[in-house]
Amino acid sequence: MTDQIYEDDFDEIEAHLAGTLKRVTAPSGLFQRLYDRIQIPSRSEIRLRLKDWNRLVFVFGGVISGMLLLITIARALYYMIGRKGVL
Amino acid sequence: MTELDYNEEEILARASKGDRDAFGILYGHYVERIFNYVYYRTGNPHDAEDLTARVFQRAMNHIKNYTDRGVPFSAWLYRIAHNLVANWHRDRSRKQEIPLDDLPVLPTKGDHPERNLVRSQEQDSLLRMIRKLPPERQNLLILKFVENMSNAEIGKIMGRSEGAVKSLYHRTLLALRDQLEDQNLNLEGE
Repeated sequence: MTDQIYEDDFDEIEAHLAGTLKRVTAPSGLFQRLYDRIQIPSRSEIRLRLKDWNRLVFVFGGVISGMLLLITIARALYYMIGRKGVL
Repeated sequence: MTELDYNEEEILARASKGDRDAFGILYGHYVERIFNYVYYRTGNPHDAEDLTARVFQRAMNHIKNYTDRGVPFSAWLYRIAHNLVANWHRDRSRKQEIPLDDLPVLPTKGDHPERNLVRSQEQDSLLRMIRKLPPERQNLLILKFVENMSNAEIGKIMGRSEGAVKSLYHRTLLALRDQLEDQNLNLEGE
């Protein structure tokens, strides 16, 4: 694995590394557990949904604000016309 | 180009269009390798499971951005794993956690099960030494010995040339040998 010049020096340590760093057997059911977990909506999907909720809140807030503005103008006009009638 | 590579290209194309079944195929192909990598970097099967799940979640979320610019998909996955493991070590250093040496050991493949139950003292010492190496050296040893990758393949994952990987490997072996000599460890008697 290394240059020829170093081969003899590192044979032993490479053999021990090969004996120590071996593929491990994953715990049973791990792959299915992980697969099931990955199916859970991802953060970005949740973020997208939240973005939609934000939009909904903005739309709802805009509609309510617009209605309140209209009511306020209507009340102001009614009040002014009503006062003129009194005078 | 082999049949498998060709298929992977197709699968990647489907997965990048949001096809979850295609991503499932990629998951099945790489999950064991990523789990092994994370396990050796953390030394902890529980965290390895959690981090492996996060690697694939992140990969699934960003697969649309993946383009093969000389970096194979496997290298891209390993880079995600490397970043998550780095974050895990950073978070862990801030908290008091169970020492890695007290955590359960997973059996290795190919050996007799009874032999796997107890890791030899020499192997434990060597693993402890490996975990004290800088992260890139740990990566190199894991990819070379656990994944049996060539220097060129490791270079693609680590973003280094083949020669640089060879040189780093040599320096790593020298460092390990010096440490072994310092600790007067006898690696002969297994």
